[in-house]
Amino acid sequence: MSSRSFRSVFMVATCAGAALGCYMVSLRVASERAQLEAVETRIVLAQRDMRVLQTEIGTRGRLSQLERWNAGAFALGAPSAEQFLKGGFELARLARPEHKVDFEAPVVLASAPVPVRPPVVGQPDTGDSGVAAAAVAPSALLHEASLKTETREVPARTVVALPLTAAKSTDRPATSAKPAKNPSVGKPDLAAAQPKKPVAKPAQAAAKKSVDKPALVTAQAVTRPVRIAKVDPLAPLPAKHSKGLTAEK
Amino acid sequence: MNAPSPALVAPRPERLRLVGQRRQLLAVMHQRLMFGMLVYAGIVAIIALRLLYLAAFGDHAGRKEGLTSYIPERGDIVDRNGDPLARTIDAWTIAIHPNKVIGDKLALARRLAQLMPEYSEEQYFALLKSNKTFFYLRRRASPGLVEAVNAIGEPGLAIQREPDRLYPQTSLAAHVIGYTDIDGHGVAGMERAFDGELAASATRGQPLMLSIDSRIQQALEHELLNAMNHFSAIGAAGVVMDVRTGEVLAMTSLPEVNPNLPGAATPEARFNRATQGVYELGSTFKPFTVAMAMDSGTIKSFGQQYNCPHELHVYGHIVHDTHPFGRICTVAEIMEESSNIGTAQIADQLGTSRQKAWLQKMGFTGPVPIELKERGRALTPGSRWGPFETMTVGFGQGIAVAPLQLAMGYATLFNGGVYHPPTLLKVGPNHPLPPGKRVFSEDTSYRMRALLRLVVMKGTGKKADAPGYRVGGKTGTAQKLINGHYSNTINITSFAGVFPMDEPRYVIVAMLDEPKATKETYGFTTAGWNVAPVVSGTIGRIAPMLGVQPDMNREPDMSQVLPFVHETKE
Repeated sequence: MSSRSFRSVFMVATCAGAALGCYMVSLRVASERAQLEAVETRIVLAQRDMRVLQTEIGTRGRLSQLERWNAGAFALGAPSAEQFLKGGFELARLARPEHKVDFEAPVVLASAPVPVRPPVVGQPDTGDSGVAAAAVAPSALLHEASLKTETREVPARTVVALPLTAAKSTDRPATSAKPAKNPSVGKPDLAAAQPKKPVAKPAQAAAKKSVDKPALVTAQAVTRPVRIAKVDPLAPLPAKHSKGLTAEK
Repeated sequence: MNAPSPALVAPRPERLRLVGQRRQLLAVMHQRLMFGMLVYAGIVAIIALRLLYLAAFGDHAGRKEGLTSYIPERGDIVDRNGDPLARTIDAWTIAIHPNKVIGDKLALARRLAQLMPEYSEEQYFALLKSNKTFFYLRRRASPGLVEAVNAIGEPGLAIQREPDRLYPQTSLAAHVIGYTDIDGHGVAGMERAFDGELAASATRGQPLMLSIDSRIQQALEHELLNAMNHFSAIGAAGVVMDVRTGEVLAMTSLPEVNPNLPGAATPEARFNRATQGVYELGSTFKPFTVAMAMDSGTIKSFGQQYNCPHELHVYGHIVHDTHPFGRICTVAEIMEESSNIGTAQIADQLGTSRQKAWLQKMGFTGPVPIELKERGRALTPGSRWGPFETMTVGFGQGIAVAPLQLAMGYATLFNGGVYHPPTLLKVGPNHPLPPGKRVFSEDTSYRMRALLRLVVMKGTGKKADAPGYRVGGKTGTAQKLINGHYSNTINITSFAGVFPMDEPRYVIVAMLDEPKATKETYGFTTAGWNVAPVVSGTIGRIAPMLGVQPDMNREPDMSQVLPFVHETKE
């Protein structure tokens, strides 16, 4: 009864509810769309700002301006034809170390003494003589030439060449120097070896100096060549060598 | 209620008549009402339908259409790598409405004169007192200035943003790009030629991509400008062109013009010498004459000999040479030493009609074929084209072409003989390469390589050689026609070069107008002394950018020409 009498009311309410629901959906869609548009507008504004900034950067860094800077400050030029390489091989060829002749190095001759073996056949006597030969071998085979040219006296070269020779001298005789120190060998040699130490320090100092200001040092060397040549620790090399030699003897 | 009730009393006849009338009237009224109601219902229905339609498919009031990317007021112009050459940005504009100013005008004038010193205080004051309604104080104002003006707080000041055309590279390629007037319409260059596309809302979103490469343009402009200043020339022009496609990679005309301030340029500077100016370019024409003669069979080999006396008397005129041979010489030597006498004889053998036909095929007789509206038209002897004119045209006098046409001719000659019209638009999907037109045979094109390389290796163009890039080319020194007479001292010098000559890719044409002699040129004003170094310097800069690998061991097939060159000095 009541339901029938309220039927129209329900109908109206349902219709109103449906309409309201539809409207809500539409409203929601519209608001989403508006937000999207706001984002799009912001994108467009950002694009416009980017354009302005790009244009400003482009204008400030325009090619004629770069050219002017280059002419005034950098002075860069176009690469010449020789500066172009065809590949890795050509590049590697450029990096090949230059072959240098070290005039300072002592002339070393190698002469191996003919091993004197007892002509006993069937007795492989490797015991003593073989070991002895091996122990002597590295240093004994090398002999420094006795004739020395006075290349060291060339004043300009001395200082610059110093670190090289010093380094070399320490490198090379490492094997031969050891037996020189420990064995039973001579006190007289100590006297010869001693001057080495005080001299070595100036050598290092000179080396440092030469690293810092090579031009200056060479200039000084030219002005007073003789003194430097004498005080100069080219000594380490001959000293060591003499020591080495004596050690062998 | 209006229905007639049964009459109790016999109605009077007039009353009966009245009832009948009323009925009729009622019927009419019903009809009218119904009609009105239908019209009303129709209108309501239309409105309702429209509302429903708008609700379903329409946009709301604040909706902007299709704004997903920024579309400038006028299309950009970019170079072939996409670097902007012309852009429209929103610039600040400061204006004033003098009649709306409410503050103290004297103080305002004082402040404006401080901020914008282009006018004096008195001028600003006079402006403010005048009855003008609107006046621009500054267009394209800097943000700092805008802020300062805004801080004055005067309601009469109008600060707004207006679209403004800006050329970021300033004078670079100004004659190609052109410029716009104050309303934003193109009045020169590509701005003018493509004004419709740049302004149309459908196409302006896409930038207009030119074939110009700004780096190459800069190199060419810089080298030419240096030479122009060094040799005190009154003008210069240059073109770099892709042989295979006809794309113009760089084109310049000096003196330069700043498109940001086009009003400040002189008419001389606005004139585009590369396309508008036509010049008698002299000896740079000779390779064409030789190529024509080879194609038509009058020259069989570069060893073919001609008599080259000290001066040639023909058709009542005398032809001179700068370096006369005074002996028999070969075609290779004629080209190497740029002999007018020899070339004149080659042209004479070729004949007028064939020469005309060839020049027409190469596009040397009509207007310059380019998109720009500023283009000249080649000048030919026309009706006076007789045998002597054929000779002079053969060595490049009596015919005037634009530098771009010359570049086009060289491009044709070294593109295997196939002509492509020059273009300022990048060849690509949007602008496909039009089919070419054969002008010279492929064999002629191939053999000409060695001939032009010879000119640079041993001849007049030695200073144009860029080591490793195999430059070939031809110098041209033409006497300038002044008051109807050829001047002996005032020249137009040009050089047309091609590189790399063993596989031609690019053509470069450089021209100097009235260069003066200097100490370094030993008093000479010929092309080999002033323009050729420009070409050398430019190629040294641009060839690496263009991907031309330098190679000291590659050369074109020089066995075609070297046996025919008489060596005296070595």
